[in-house]
Amino acid sequence: MHRILRLSFFLMGLLVAAGSHAADAQKPTLTTEDSLGPQVTQPIEFPHYRHAGLRNPNDPTNSDPNKGGMEIDCQYCHTYARRSAVAGIPPLQKCIGCHQNIESVRQKPRIVELFKYWDAKKAVPWKKVHDLPDFVRFNHERHIKRFIEQQNRPTQEACGYCHGDVKEMTVARRSKPLTMGWCASCHQKEHPVTGEGGAPIGNQAYWYKFQKPAADKSGGEIKAQGPNDCWHCHK
Amino acid sequence: MIDSSFDRRDFLKVMGWGGAAVALSGCGNTSIEDGKETVVSYVEAADYVIPGVSVYYNSTCAQCDAGCNINGRVREGRVLKLEGNAASGINRGKMCGLGQAGVQHHYNPDRVREPLLRNGDRGEAIAWDKAYALIAEKLNGVSGDEVAFLSGGVSGHLKVLLGNYLESLGSKNHFVYEAVSPAVVRAANKKAYGNEMPRFSINKAKVVLSFGADFLGSWVSPVHFSQQYAQFRKGVNGQRGVLVQVESKMTLTGANADRWLVVRPGTEGVLALGIINALGASGVALSGDAAAASQGYDKARVTSETGVSAEHLDKLVALLKERTPSLVLAGSAAEGYAHGSQNAAAINLLNQVLGNVGKTIEAPAVLPFPQMAPAKGSSLALKSLNEGLAAGKYKVLFTYGANPVFTAPGSMKFKDSMGKAAFKVAFAHYLDETALQADLVLPLDSALEDWGTQVPEYLADGAQINIQQPLMEKLHPETRGMGDVLLALIKQRQADAYKGFEDYYSYLRSALLQNKGALGGGGSDDDTFWDATLTSGIIKLAGAAGTLSASSAAGLKLPEAAAADAQFPMHLIPSVTANLRDGRHANQPWLQESPDPLTTIVWDSWVEIHPKKAAQMGIVEGDIVEVASKTGTIKAQAYLFPGIHPDAVSIPLGRGHEAMGRYAKGFGVNPFQILDAVYDQETGELAMHETRVKISKVGQRVIVVKDEGVIGGKQDGRRIALSKTTDQVKLSEEI
Repeated sequence: MHRILRLSFFLMGLLVAAGSHAADAQKPTLTTEDSLGPQVTQPIEFPHYRHAGLRNPNDPTNSDPNKGGMEIDCQYCHTYARRSAVAGIPPLQKCIGCHQNIESVRQKPRIVELFKYWDAKKAVPWKKVHDLPDFVRFNHERHIKRFIEQQNRPTQEACGYCHGDVKEMTVARRSKPLTMGWCASCHQKEHPVTGEGGAPIGNQAYWYKFQKPAADKSGGEIKAQGPNDCWHCHK
Repeated sequence: MIDSSFDRRDFLKVMGWGGAAVALSGCGNTSIEDGKETVVSYVEAADYVIPGVSVYYNSTCAQCDAGCNINGRVREGRVLKLEGNAASGINRGKMCGLGQAGVQHHYNPDRVREPLLRNGDRGEAIAWDKAYALIAEKLNGVSGDEVAFLSGGVSGHLKVLLGNYLESLGSKNHFVYEAVSPAVVRAANKKAYGNEMPRFSINKAKVVLSFGADFLGSWVSPVHFSQQYAQFRKGVNGQRGVLVQVESKMTLTGANADRWLVVRPGTEGVLALGIINALGASGVALSGDAAAASQGYDKARVTSETGVSAEHLDKLVALLKERTPSLVLAGSAAEGYAHGSQNAAAINLLNQVLGNVGKTIEAPAVLPFPQMAPAKGSSLALKSLNEGLAAGKYKVLFTYGANPVFTAPGSMKFKDSMGKAAFKVAFAHYLDETALQADLVLPLDSALEDWGTQVPEYLADGAQINIQQPLMEKLHPETRGMGDVLLALIKQRQADAYKGFEDYYSYLRSALLQNKGALGGGGSDDDTFWDATLTSGIIKLAGAAGTLSASSAAGLKLPEAAAADAQFPMHLIPSVTANLRDGRHANQPWLQESPDPLTTIVWDSWVEIHPKKAAQMGIVEGDIVEVASKTGTIKAQAYLFPGIHPDAVSIPLGRGHEAMGRYAKGFGVNPFQILDAVYDQETGELAMHETRVKISKVGQRVIVVKDEGVIGGKQDGRRIALSKTTDQVKLSEEI
């Protein structure tokens, strides 16, 4: 009797394990494709599309909130990202700095709500939508230095690699898996580490794999792979 | 219930597969909690505040009185880590474990968070203005003589303000109490060198002979001495310094010594005089005093009294003669007897005979502001306070920075005496034993939240004033800085004189700016000077060098050895450990958790017994033994330790709290409780090592929780840490 009970326990465990493993195996791990996170309700429904969205060429006064944005650079508000490992959330002061001078929207419900927090000197309890486990150390500063400052790519493109097309969103929603396999899918690609003529991009002293890639005799671009040591992220 | 045929192994199998299932299904994004955590942003952020990027502030360590300058790392407005300030002449960028635990003083969950007024057995929260009003009311009609203020060692502007407050009350009763202080050595130094705390240059000595001074662990300024010791070990002109430690119970310093000599407890002075006698016999010129004092201390007598063999004595004398300059230190083990002053005097005399005064014992810098110099604590202060309290002399008692109910010797019955004061106010960080006896408890800011200035007693590198500044905002809104509290109290008495100072910060700032010229800021404007001062955290003063005056040791005579006590045959050595000292920080779990350097025991007390003695008494490690003195008894686990005199047992101080929060209460035993009322005859200080005890087995046995040995150090043949027996290595640098 007990033997049977034990065996059934055992088999159940096996089944559950195998089932979950099979389900897991179906997930593409190495991919850049989208993986939408949950829709998160924020205390104030912040309209990213209005702030960062493209201007509506047919509306020179830009007055219709549903048809065009302000094209504000991500880094105008998310100013910590280029200076720190964590991007942080803009201080409330930043919102008020502009909005105290924008009378036209002053009475809109979201702005009224915003000023309530400001008058009470209370922080807005935003919910975190891009979360990494505590054992992962992602560095915003380094990515911004490379893509925006060294390679002169547009901010929205560079931020968008991980955060998706935020300028189309209201409140931000996670749109990439942010898993290790997903990180590696970029980092496994060959990156150009030298420009034309063999000059290191941005004169950076660091090289992936900790060694300077051998000079290309043809004088062309040299490429190398991403970080290959666990502690680059797991420290 | 699970039937017994479903055994542990099967259970683990099923659990294992279940666990694997959970683990596998958890491989996706499930460990990331999108949209669940709140990210709190700043409302207003200063320009220099960048999330994820640390800022650093200099301040002063408040864990002991050595006055190490520290540098705190602050991120997102939270202090995370303390390190030494590299510009400090005291600790030169280094820090000890006790100091590192300072963040746990600040973040301690058991801090008092609001003023508490006694209501029966309970404390009821009241507002600060009510608390102040209550103090004013209770002081009304009480003469200054009936007010007593007990504090730990205080210095800097806080000492000045405290002095002014007591003056405004018309009280002269400021008792400065430190349970573990080198008070006897101070007095002996004053006699021998004309200075209570001269500078000891261990790094300039070629031989250091230390009589129980644990200068690497807990004595005076251990971080500073540790660095000097490192230089001493590297050697001057290629000659590596030799350390000889003489004591009855091995300290951390003793464990580092080239030669560790065990002496019969209390005979340190005899050995010192014996060495002087032998030096004289070997041709060193002795002054009349030295010759007179050491007369009769021949080798045979010294050997029989101290237990140090003639061979070791000869070696030691040869070493001291051969290598000069040397340095002889008198520590807490030598001073803790009824004849502690004579012991210390004999040891200091040895320095004079060896010609070390002026070479390795140098004059300290003189602080140009004597009013800020530290008020040095002693146990004599507690004794006189206790007598006053017992006689009903004091109606109002203030306590700050001391926990006498825990640290007073049991024979003093301080708790009962304290009860005789009608109104007791405790300025406290935690509800410790003393605060629990108070009628009003006023919660203080932690050392990492408060403003202050501090002057260390041991001026290692010229005169300096240390700046203490907040590393972060207050954790608890209803705590106050000690300076702010004193200022509020003094305003009750002299509102006009202090009305210009809104808070202690403005008092401190204006006091320092007034003396800008003397503090080295002449020529710069106020803000520049102030910013520079806060940035560096140290004001280095161009003080004049002090002087040493050699004095005679006329009349130095050691008492005859006390007769053996048949009822209490063993000496009790209450040991001061580097982590816990007098126990004021026992509620910092890092300190409880770090293994004792010699026994590796954690979170508990122990009784050190020599293995031979233990064998005689049939005691093995882990036996609970009862240690009984005339005053009281305590029970603790036995630990067999060869580094102790067979006639002594040792129990570390600091544990055995009955209050003070979750990390202190109930761990270990408190040897202060069983200390007898024996005092040093000259200074009146408590003779900490004079308590005689008897030990007996209780009959219980426990597993000693420690890192060392079979249980903690099992390597399973993997050769992780290799060891050799002592006879396989050359142990000593001695010649």
